[in-house]
Amino acid sequence: MKLGFKSFATLSVLASALALTGCGEQAKDTAEAAAAKPLRLGVIAGAEEQVAEIAVKVAKEQYNLDVELVSFSDYVTPNVALNDGSLDINAFQHQPYLDKQIEDRGYDLVAVGNTFVYPIAAYSKVIKSLDELEDGAKVAVPNDPTNLGRTLLLLEQQGLIEVDDAVGLEATTLNITANPKELNIIELEAPQLPRSLDDVAFAVINTTYASQIDLLPGRDSLFVEDKESPYVNLIVARKDNQNDERVQTFIKAYQSEEVYQAALELFKGGVVKGW
Amino acid sequence: MSDAMINLLLSALWETMIMTFGSGAIACALGIPLGIALHVSKPGQIWEHAAFNKILGTVVNIGRSIPFIILLVAIIPFTRMVVGTSIGTVAAVVPLTVAAIPFVARLMEGALMEIPAGLVEAAQAMGARRLQIVTKVLLPEALPGMLNGIIITLVTLVNYSAMAGAIGGGGLGDVGIRYGYQRFDPQIMLITVVMLVVLVQIIQSAGERLVAYVDHR
Repeated sequence: MKLGFKSFATLSVLASALALTGCGEQAKDTAEAAAAKPLRLGVIAGAEEQVAEIAVKVAKEQYNLDVELVSFSDYVTPNVALNDGSLDINAFQHQPYLDKQIEDRGYDLVAVGNTFVYPIAAYSKVIKSLDELEDGAKVAVPNDPTNLGRTLLLLEQQGLIEVDDAVGLEATTLNITANPKELNIIELEAPQLPRSLDDVAFAVINTTYASQIDLLPGRDSLFVEDKESPYVNLIVARKDNQNDERVQTFIKAYQSEEVYQAALELFKGGVVKGW
Repeated sequence: MSDAMINLLLSALWETMIMTFGSGAIACALGIPLGIALHVSKPGQIWEHAAFNKILGTVVNIGRSIPFIILLVAIIPFTRMVVGTSIGTVAAVVPLTVAAIPFVARLMEGALMEIPAGLVEAAQAMGARRLQIVTKVLLPEALPGMLNGIIITLVTLVNYSAMAGAIGGGGLGDVGIRYGYQRFDPQIMLITVVMLVVLVQIIQSAGERLVAYVDHR
């Protein structure tokens, strides 16, 4: 999920107004005939929707569970609709975004399962594995707050550096508490990273930019985020229906090999399984 | 403010100085001869050559019309060829220099144009050779104006160096954008701006003193 919060602000006001007008009746309906109705799943239109369609198929064929897909074109409405009962679950966001939404809007939402990580990964033209990484090597990383923090956490997970845990997700190079290999960490504009590969031992690049020079996280990376990433995308339910059997069944259907293969194909290898 | 932040600001100041004075020095070494060539090849001047002047003028104009942020990334292969890497402070000196050369050339040309034509004619009447006219008449007479042009160039380079963050050049402008703007820390933004103001004031007043010292008019 890629978020431009501000650009969505206007859109979302419109969209949530639309969603709210129709939701009173729907909420009542859902409560009355919950068992008989299909499970309503909110997704974002596009490739993620296509992946969800496979999950719906698996749910029907293997678990005899009817799931109805509701697609959205913004990142705010799916949570509004889930919170008011128009949806039973949604699958489009990662934990940091969910936390922010809950904080801002007081939703009673809770993550119940993982879907995929659309990962950042390290690529190199110089070394084949981290064993070859020399002391003092140059390492290029993105310079915007979210991706820099995300990258530093990945480097920490790889045992290359240690980051002050108190800082959370938006760590900067100033929060590095240990750098045993004395890596020279160079912060660059994200689109600049693929072009820096000739000049550094490795560069950590978002799939968006890496794929433009035909680098894929699964195939070409030195190392890549795994399901432990805080940016793994989630299946989210409400607190009152999180233990609903149908929700649990759907998670099983989503976390299946068929869905993984479909996602690999649709995102051209740019996904990591979150389960 | 943390020690780490103070160190960051100090190293950023150092990076800004390297970028400003490093590229300023090289740009002057190449831009001053270019400016002289632009001036003396004009119609009515001592090395008059209309076609050469036209071509040179066009090349300089092209150099001056490319937005710096584009130049910065567009000449990456050239930068790598010259200094062996496309990222870092030293790498940023290359595009800064390339951008400053035509800028210096035009300022030098402007300073030379200020010299009264009568001076050159008088030197010619006394039998001075063309090279002598350049070294004995044009350069000494235009020196205050040329120095002033160099000061303007240095201040402009301080400004341009703020964009070098795009290629990892660092510097005060980069710290201001990344820590001040992107991370909503107005204190850092203010400190970097104040440091830049002080740096520019020092360059300007030192330059003015130098101009006053060499100006015999």
